[in-house]
Amino acid sequence: MKARPVEGLDPAAPLRPNAERIVRTRLGELRDLAGPALDPAASTAQHDLRIAAKRLRYVLEIAETCLGPEAKAARRAAKDLQAVLGEIHDCDVMLPGAWGIESLREMLRTRRELLFRRFVELWREHEARDPWSALESAFTG
Amino acid sequence: MARAREVPGFDCEEPFARAAARVVEVRAAEVFEHADGVLDTDEIERLHDMRVATRRLRAALEVFAPCFPRKRHRKALKRVKALADALGERRDRDVSFEFLAGIAAEAPAGDRAAVGALAERLREEQREANEALAPFVAPKRLKKLRRRLLELAKAARS
Repeated sequence: MKARPVEGLDPAAPLRPNAERIVRTRLGELRDLAGPALDPAASTAQHDLRIAAKRLRYVLEIAETCLGPEAKAARRAAKDLQAVLGEIHDCDVMLPGAWGIESLREMLRTRRELLFRRFVELWREHEARDPWSALESAFTG
Repeated sequence: MARAREVPGFDCEEPFARAAARVVEVRAAEVFEHADGVLDTDEIERLHDMRVATRRLRAALEVFAPCFPRKRHRKALKRVKALADALGERRDRDVSFEFLAGIAAEAPAGDRAAVGALAERLREEQREANEALAPFVAPKRLKKLRRRLLELAKAARS
């Protein structure tokens, strides 16, 4: 999944306003991808959301000290999402290779279902606490 | 998983391009520091750490893209991506093999032979992925990539 381009970056301007632009774009990507990913069968959408969470996390790692304490909470939330979606992805990678071993396939499917439920719970927790909006509210630009 | 190293002298008010140079230098150093022993399949965490470092470097190159000369940036990013992909192929097999090893004892008696055969197949894939990875982590190649990244950082500063 290609990253959404970020408009208006200025190499000569300070880090903070540039970082805010990038984070806004990455947050937009995350929010747009979350809905489709909440369908248990949508493995491509879940993979895309994992990539979006990863991108957001890595830009927050770089710019966290410039964006305030809200950035730390947002980074942790992105990391948690990336982790659970990563485990779902591992199941999706292993399932095709387990062809013919029904007990293994069943184990992987069950594991995936549990992880997916965990992902949905996590997303709902994030919706309730909304670290993303808290971060955007802290932006000065 | 190794934490991202702090970037020394990081200043939120300095120009984006200067921050780009600092971050790429640090993230590049992390990648090369994690290269030792990465082909040892008995120590899979080494590869995992190098892979995470490579992802962070790639992310930094993408975040700071406007700060670098376009052509040189594209070439550097292409090489970092190729390294990341080769590490990823090996990592997928590491994870699958480890998962299978963890649950093999729980498999019903009737499936154990098939699980064993699958584990053998994964070991072979892991070996092949490792062979494919080896050229990317050869010292000479890594040195060349490091030079390319340091030149990119220098260009961002000027």
